[in-house]
Amino acid sequence: MDDYVTGVLTNIGLFSFLALSAYLLLIAGEMSFGQQAFFGVGAYSGGILTAIYGLPLPVAALVAMLLGSLCAFLVGLPTLRLRGLYFAMATLAAAEMARILFELFRFQRQIGGELVGPDGTQGFRGIRWVFERGVEPAGYLALVWGLLLIALVVFLLMERSRLGATLRAIGEDPDLARSCGISVERFKLGVAAAAGALAALGGVLFAHHNTYIEPRNFDIMLGVHSLAYALIGGLGTAFGPLLGVMVDLGVLEGSRVFQGYRMIAFGGLVAILLIFRPRGLLDEKVVHWLRARFS
Amino acid sequence: MAKSALFLILALASLPASAQRAQAELACTPSNTDFAYHCVVRLSRGGQPLPGADVSVGADMPSMPMAHNVRPVKAKPGKAPGEYQARLDLEMLGEWAVKLRLRGPVNDQLILHYDFDEKGARPVIRSGRLPRK
Repeated sequence: MDDYVTGVLTNIGLFSFLALSAYLLLIAGEMSFGQQAFFGVGAYSGGILTAIYGLPLPVAALVAMLLGSLCAFLVGLPTLRLRGLYFAMATLAAAEMARILFELFRFQRQIGGELVGPDGTQGFRGIRWVFERGVEPAGYLALVWGLLLIALVVFLLMERSRLGATLRAIGEDPDLARSCGISVERFKLGVAAAAGALAALGGVLFAHHNTYIEPRNFDIMLGVHSLAYALIGGLGTAFGPLLGVMVDLGVLEGSRVFQGYRMIAFGGLVAILLIFRPRGLLDEKVVHWLRARFS
Repeated sequence: MAKSALFLILALASLPASAQRAQAELACTPSNTDFAYHCVVRLSRGGQPLPGADVSVGADMPSMPMAHNVRPVKAKPGKAPGEYQARLDLEMLGEWAVKLRLRGPVNDQLILHYDFDEKGARPVIRSGRLPRK
């Protein structure tokens, strides 16, 4: 497998964490345009912990997930009081605030005669933990997909459990769920925190794959794509967002023949897809049909 | 299983980091094809040229790393020690984060920010400072 294929597969794995994060909120009935902020929190905090404090990547990833979860909880406290479009706008505003904070954030230390750490708009270079440990791209790909597999198994178990049914009930009709005695607000805060942790994990892995991050990496484009992944792939199963990332990156890579115009071709394809499949390729009907056929 | 995973994590964590890091400079001239550039990468370590490296050159647009990126190409050794040549086929003019993947005497990845225009490529200046290599 050459570097290009390994890189594309690694990117699919990395952005699947973000897609799953958006998907988790979508099945709870909330459309967030701000998951890229927690991806960024994970990337910056994980990078600081390995590059400046010399912590191992697994420890840094755990701390970054906790931080991502905490930030998502704090953002969720005021924003989850809002509904529909207002919630979407509030999450977008929160994510832009986070991106601007990354632009103002400077925290550099001398490491081996070199200044390392976030330097505002100049970005954060030297997140080299993976390269310094001699981890090859194929090894990192295996790590990313191994963690993604664990996340997918947790999702599938959750979806078959009472918790999954409760989340879908909240997503379908929060008032009906509330009348059944479900604490909708508490559940949604929990979902927001879990989605933040998942996005942060993706961010840590992204930063260590790239070795360099900057505030622009976490702008609105990433938020729109993360929602698009879940909506293209489908809301019927956790495999949907993964399929969405594969379609998104696959179409983008496959449309290189259009050169500079390929984003226009890509946008058109997404529009057509969503007209004919408004709840994505793997929507609830398809998943139900597949389960009935194969179980 | 859990013990093996823990052992692997601790073993990876305890490996030493490389002492001296590679540095890179880029010089690009436009080719006859739109958005295509002939580039020369100059690699050094500790102030000395770094020959014999296996270098692949790719590029991303910082604000759209997934949407606009360049398939990495292998660089060929150039005329002088530590020099490597590659052709970069970009999708548009503007700021690109050139990604150098190094193997051989050094295992690293360097990111260089350059502004590509009709005349060639210049290092990006933000807030009056050049980004470090």
